[in-house]
Amino acid sequence: MTSLAAAPPERRVPRWLARHETLLAAVLIVALAILGALNNRFLTLDNLLNQGRLMTEVGLIALPMTFVIITGGIDLSVGSVVGLCAIALGYSWKNLGFPLPAAIAFAIALGAICGFINGFFITRVKVPPLIMTIATLALYRGFAEGISQAHSVRGYPEWFYFMGQGELFGVPTQLWLLVAAIVIAGVALDRTTFGRSLYAIGANETAARFSGLPVDRIKLVVYTLSGLMAGVSAYVLVSRVTTTRSDMGIGYELDVIAAVVLGGTSIFGGSGTIWGTVVGLVMIQLLKDGLALTGVKGDATIVVIGTVLIASTLLASSLQKRRDVGG
Amino acid sequence: MSAIAMETRAAPRASLLRRLSSQEVLLAIAIVVLALVVGAINPRFLATRNLSDILLGNAYVAVAAIGMSMVIISGNIDISVGALIGVLATISGSMAVAGYSIALAWLVPVLVGIAVMALQGAVIAYLRIPAIVVTLGMLSILKGGLISVTGGKWITDLPDSFHLADIELFDILPMPVLIMVGATILAALWMRYTAQGRAIYATGGNPEAARLCGISPQVTVVMVFALHGLFAGIAALLFATQLKVIQSTVPPNLELTIITAAVVGGVSILGGVGTVIGSTLAAILIAEIASALVFVSISPYWIRAVQGGLILLTVVADIVRRQRRVAGDSR
Amino acid sequence: MMKLLMTTVAAAALALTFGASGARAGDKWDGADDLPTNPLACDSSGGGTVAAKPYDGGQPTGAPDKAGKEITLVDVPKLIGIGYFNATSKGMQDAAKELGNVKVTTDGPTEAKIDEQIKFIDNYVTRGVDGVLFAANDPVAIAPVLKKALSKGIHVVGYDANSTPDARQWFVNQAEFNGIGKALIDSLAKEIGEDKGFAIVTSTFTTPNQARWIAEMSAYAARCHPKLKWLETVEAQEDNVLSFNQATTLINKYGDKLAGLVGMTSVATPASAEAVTKAKLCGKVAVVGLATPNAMKPYVNADCVKSVVLWNPVDLGYAATYVVRAVVDGKLKPGDTSVEAGKLGKLTVVNGSEILLGAPFIFTKANVKDFDF
Repeated sequence: MTSLAAAPPERRVPRWLARHETLLAAVLIVALAILGALNNRFLTLDNLLNQGRLMTEVGLIALPMTFVIITGGIDLSVGSVVGLCAIALGYSWKNLGFPLPAAIAFAIALGAICGFINGFFITRVKVPPLIMTIATLALYRGFAEGISQAHSVRGYPEWFYFMGQGELFGVPTQLWLLVAAIVIAGVALDRTTFGRSLYAIGANETAARFSGLPVDRIKLVVYTLSGLMAGVSAYVLVSRVTTTRSDMGIGYELDVIAAVVLGGTSIFGGSGTIWGTVVGLVMIQLLKDGLALTGVKGDATIVVIGTVLIASTLLASSLQKRRDVGG
Repeated sequence: MSAIAMETRAAPRASLLRRLSSQEVLLAIAIVVLALVVGAINPRFLATRNLSDILLGNAYVAVAAIGMSMVIISGNIDISVGALIGVLATISGSMAVAGYSIALAWLVPVLVGIAVMALQGAVIAYLRIPAIVVTLGMLSILKGGLISVTGGKWITDLPDSFHLADIELFDILPMPVLIMVGATILAALWMRYTAQGRAIYATGGNPEAARLCGISPQVTVVMVFALHGLFAGIAALLFATQLKVIQSTVPPNLELTIITAAVVGGVSILGGVGTVIGSTLAAILIAEIASALVFVSISPYWIRAVQGGLILLTVVADIVRRQRRVAGDSR
Repeated sequence: MMKLLMTTVAAAALALTFGASGARAGDKWDGADDLPTNPLACDSSGGGTVAAKPYDGGQPTGAPDKAGKEITLVDVPKLIGIGYFNATSKGMQDAAKELGNVKVTTDGPTEAKIDEQIKFIDNYVTRGVDGVLFAANDPVAIAPVLKKALSKGIHVVGYDANSTPDARQWFVNQAEFNGIGKALIDSLAKEIGEDKGFAIVTSTFTTPNQARWIAEMSAYAARCHPKLKWLETVEAQEDNVLSFNQATTLINKYGDKLAGLVGMTSVATPASAEAVTKAKLCGKVAVVGLATPNAMKPYVNADCVKSVVLWNPVDLGYAATYVVRAVVDGKLKPGDTSVEAGKLGKLTVVNGSEILLGAPFIFTKANVKDFDF
């Protein structure tokens, strides 16, 4: 009689509390409090907004990367796409004579094309995503180096710097962009059929295919989005640093993946949320900043980030298990 | 009944050869063809000096790729190996300079490599943290830790006897090539003909089936990572003993090169397929391409694009070939 | 059918890439930053007189008056973990100890990435330091964050690798670009002869200093040693083993045609020397370049390398620290023509807001053992 009744309520951890994202957010708040206590410049609005500005480039890419990883894939070429799009922006404006707005649009479109190529080979030729994007990581970076021939393009008109260095109502411009992107991505993932189909594909691709989902088309879309956002990120980056370099974006892929994975998205696919990615992103950025402000040097900061990454995944995973067992 | 019996009897003998039939042969052909093409453009490419320099300078990548192949075949990945090699090379050099015996300076890094990797393997297998997370975290820890401890100071004043990579057995066989070839053959045979070796394929291909056959995936994963650490340690020795100074930083992009060698060598990221012979041949091909690009005077700005294109081509060709074989088999 | 299409596309892409790589290596070199070159006269003994320019540096707004008081500085080099910047850092510590009222910390990215460097400087600006010392990974990209520092009343002085002039107050220049170009080519020509071939091993083409030096070397060689054959330039990042492999490939490729290797970084030069040693070509292939003495000791002592060109990076860091102190104390103002830099004596101001360290320093077998960096 009492058998099927759940275990005494007091002993169960409420579902929403034990979710990975919430736990992570709790860890984040604790960390912020500690760092804020250690250094009085950390929790100022000025600093936090500035950090928001600095994390936009990685943040924009982390959103479609969440989609990609949920479907069970991965995209390691994003950093190289950023580099290529940055070069394309400068090159098409200076060498090909495009008007600057057209150059920006061209760069973003090029990013989408790069993502599309990835998606095409992954879905039609069936190259595994890891391999395809390792190859395009080299290929796209190579194109960036070849086209730019080590030249940088500078000297943009004032309005161009508004995105990367300007402010709208006191908040950095690109941060508005990031927030808008987060909202759109979150709604898309949570509330649309498209979003739900991503989970289905990640959980069991064959079953998804058999239930009539256009798996290949959906995957193509997410990889194209990944490239597109890398192109937008390139625009923000060039606007922020006022120049183009072929080595831009090197290492972004690892930063993005760290944020996504830290946020609870399973690398095996099938689960994850935009909210988690955002918490992961914010956590890494603020940790790095907070540690630096407290006087921890760069090398030690890297060690801490690495440890935090492993530790929080461990924590979340073990609490997940306990929740599964208890409820 | 009898047909099945016949098949199983014939299988063991032919299967090593059958496994060698595809990607590995393709790579060997590519190595030879590339050498001939470049040799036609600039005959100096085929000089013994150059060919041996290509092998000697990059043997450590091939050795590390052996361990990486095993990891990938078992269904995991490791991106911390580049940082680990940097750390182990520094440990080795520091010990030699501090006056420890050369034998210890060679042995300790290998042991440390095994320990660090086995630890990661245990975290992956028993704590169920995905490999990419653990190794990404470890990459940061090793990289930051190395700079913290050494301050980036280079290690100079290495004793002459330290240089393992310079030793030539019987005055003709250079150690790096010997180690590379020897390790590859031993590893290939071990993976094919021992139960533990085959367990790696099983765990990568279908962990559930492996478990039902009595193979413990967790133990296999820890073992695979431990072996990966062993090969990383040996690779670190070859890396450290090549030059008279050791740059105590993490060599850039090394893990990417090693993964590329394994993947181009035919190891499938889905797990369960591939041989270490393929990865060694791929490592040689990659090194050969790097040298060839300089020899044919490809503008240095385009070198990376060509490398990426070649990797893509190799991979696509492999996929296409696999699909054709599957289509052929099912007829 | 699909497979055929795929393979054709892939092959076409490859052919396109090959075709696009039209320029042969070493053909085009224009500094990669579109600035004109300015080769020196062939016979002057290192560094001509530079015309005076009006001051063109930036100024901090509202910098607190700390004349005579203790100041905290942060040094953000291109990257940490290489001998060269370990040496500049040491120079700064030496100066700080001598001055007694300066504290310097060196912190920076572990790879030469401008974006990382910007973030480091940004954090220190937020933290509130009195002065920033920097060696820029990119002169233009670093300007916004430096200007931000200036606007917050923080002093900004650069060394080794400049930014745009209005983003910093002063720049301590180890030597003029054309002076370094001349020193390297002259040492090379002296060792290998006037009509031999040489190759260059650099880090990357996008490193601004590298690009400038190589452009100046090219212009100077064309002017004063026209018969020297510049064979090729290769990239090797800041990696020891890669530099070694690249140098070895060059030796194998050109055989007898290669008489000299020029290493452009403190990583490339020892690696090139090692490549020459391993190929048993010491004495037959000259190695010339920029490097720190410690890394070159084995080769200089073995007579494989005759001389190593560098300025003294320890002095460079030392001078930069003294410059900041002088600025804070009001002893160095825009328009001044010289500054006192401790044991280095009086340093001249050139080019408006640059402070020249002096002539390049040559390390040889005789003096290499006296240095430890």
